[in-house]
Amino acid sequence: MGEAQRQCWVDEQDGRVVLHLGGAWSLAGLRDLSAQLSGPDGPLGGGRPRLPQRLDGQALQHLDTAAALLLLGALADAGTDLAQLELQHFDARHGRVLEVVRKRYAETTAAPPKRPLAALGRFGKATSEMGQLLLGHVEFFGRTLTEIGRVLLNPRRLRLHELFAQLGQVGVNAVPVVVLVTFLIGVVMAYMLGLQAERFGANIFVVDGVALGMTREFSPLIVATIMAGRSGAAFTAQLGTMKLTEEIDAIRTLGLEPAQVLVVPRVLALVITLPLLVFVGNVAGLAGAAMMANATLDITPQVFVNRLHLALAPRHYVIGLAKAPVFALFIAVIGCRMGVAVSRDTRSIGINTTSTVVQGIVAVILLDAMFAVFFQELGL
Amino acid sequence: MNAPALADEVVVDVQNVHTRFGKQMVHEDLSLQVRRGELVALIGGSGSGKSVLLREILGLQRPTAGTLRVLGTDMWQSPESERAAVRRRFGMMFQEGALFSSLDVAGNVATPLLEHTDTPPALLPRLVNLRLALAGLGAEVGAKMPAQLSGGMKKRAALARALALEPEVLFLDEPTSGLDPITARAFDALIEFLNRDLGLTVLMITHDLDTLLSIARRIVVLGRGRVLADGTAEQVMSVDEPWIKSYFSSRQTVHSDPARAGQAPADGA
Repeated sequence: MGEAQRQCWVDEQDGRVVLHLGGAWSLAGLRDLSAQLSGPDGPLGGGRPRLPQRLDGQALQHLDTAAALLLLGALADAGTDLAQLELQHFDARHGRVLEVVRKRYAETTAAPPKRPLAALGRFGKATSEMGQLLLGHVEFFGRTLTEIGRVLLNPRRLRLHELFAQLGQVGVNAVPVVVLVTFLIGVVMAYMLGLQAERFGANIFVVDGVALGMTREFSPLIVATIMAGRSGAAFTAQLGTMKLTEEIDAIRTLGLEPAQVLVVPRVLALVITLPLLVFVGNVAGLAGAAMMANATLDITPQVFVNRLHLALAPRHYVIGLAKAPVFALFIAVIGCRMGVAVSRDTRSIGINTTSTVVQGIVAVILLDAMFAVFFQELGL
Repeated sequence: MNAPALADEVVVDVQNVHTRFGKQMVHEDLSLQVRRGELVALIGGSGSGKSVLLREILGLQRPTAGTLRVLGTDMWQSPESERAAVRRRFGMMFQEGALFSSLDVAGNVATPLLEHTDTPPALLPRLVNLRLALAGLGAEVGAKMPAQLSGGMKKRAALARALALEPEVLFLDEPTSGLDPITARAFDALIEFLNRDLGLTVLMITHDLDTLLSIARRIVVLGRGRVLADGTAEQVMSVDEPWIKSYFSSRQTVHSDPARAGQAPADGA
């Protein structure tokens, strides 16, 4: 089967133009076949408008539907009426394949409707979707708060089992990563501040800087960011999968309220654990700073702790911890809401999970900025 | 040309396959051959290892022992390049369709064509439409996302994707499950058309008695880790094996009870 083998040629029989097919006409050789058929030297190309009225399949060794479509498409494009086309000397199988494609040819020419939105249209659509999303968040937030209120009025409605399961997943299991990250942040802060402070012989003030920065800003912010990525995403993926497998519908048909069974335990779990994790982060961060101070700034742990007592006013510490439950509330509500909002296909779980993480982190930083202004105005 | 010589060619060859999950024996010395042009239905009770066998044939799950060949290529021993080549020569339709949810239907069907063939760009949309038409879908379905399709359309779209590369062998996992009887019969007709008119060899898992009795020319019954029966519907039904007896009589009992003929199925009175 050399390259030179002709797979189509034209001659005349009884005053009719006959297109002969030969060799293997298959999907693998479409480009080559197309070139032979409609190229400058091909029977359907160039300056020789000899439209075949008959096809001859005697020399054909193989014909599949893709090649048949190519052939019929080229013939139709050249102006042949496919319905009038006669077939001769075709092997029964090849003839069937050709007839199968001929019967469906009209259906294949329809172009799928594709109308990409213009830039302005996309902008409008995105804006409107964003509005819908935020509106949905507000509604969900309200419903969740109502449901938490009901639980507070009647504590027996609380799903303790689910709450403890979530406390374990959201809180206890997050301790290692929180310790690791905040410890390293403490190390870095002490090192960077130390580089500056050493030049003025003000080593001891590194403790002031780390203590204030860590407890009031960095630990809450970093731990909340970790939890937005870790627990917010988990909530969306869990609830999204449950939505997809109709578990949430099943909960509702059993006369239970999904918000109460699924959402409240998750929100409460995160609101309870985030301040605790921030505390863990504070300790780990200060430990990291103390270690670095001991190693590079000649500040012994003893001196570090003594200075800490003087430098760190309790209000900074309390403000840091107080921000945590608010961050947690927003992260958990966004995570749960995006999970419930998953539509009925697997792709949207991925999209919503990604969106949860982005929204969670943006929300945390926005809240933190608002807190900063708020406490500033209050003079705290 | 060489059609008669091809007719006896074994395209799926399962030789002495053993499969064990922990202590549970799924296949015990199971052997099975499918020849070119056959339309074979694989049946068996839950846990009889039908799906596992199909996954082993496809090269998705490794058997404990034995060889599985598709179109002459050992799906577990041959070099990866050979196995990749043979994968382009068979098509698989998964039970739930397994359509790529991030692509529209046309994109799903076009994926294998774009990856594995040198199809001229001008021909690609036509070829995709032809695949959809062969699977009984209109060209307008191509623009839809998988999530927008009904169960029957999902299966048809999955079939269109399985047909993309002109496969010689088609594997189907419960093609009519979850479809209403009218859609299911139309799907049967479609499978028979592919087998008869396009010459595809078909191996399918099915529990649909109508499919078995109408289009399956050969039925293979799996049970207790091996092939319990193999042959036409009549031959299989005559095998003296309790599971087979109750399987084929499951519908006769409903139909042959004259007392229920004109009655609503809701009974208990």
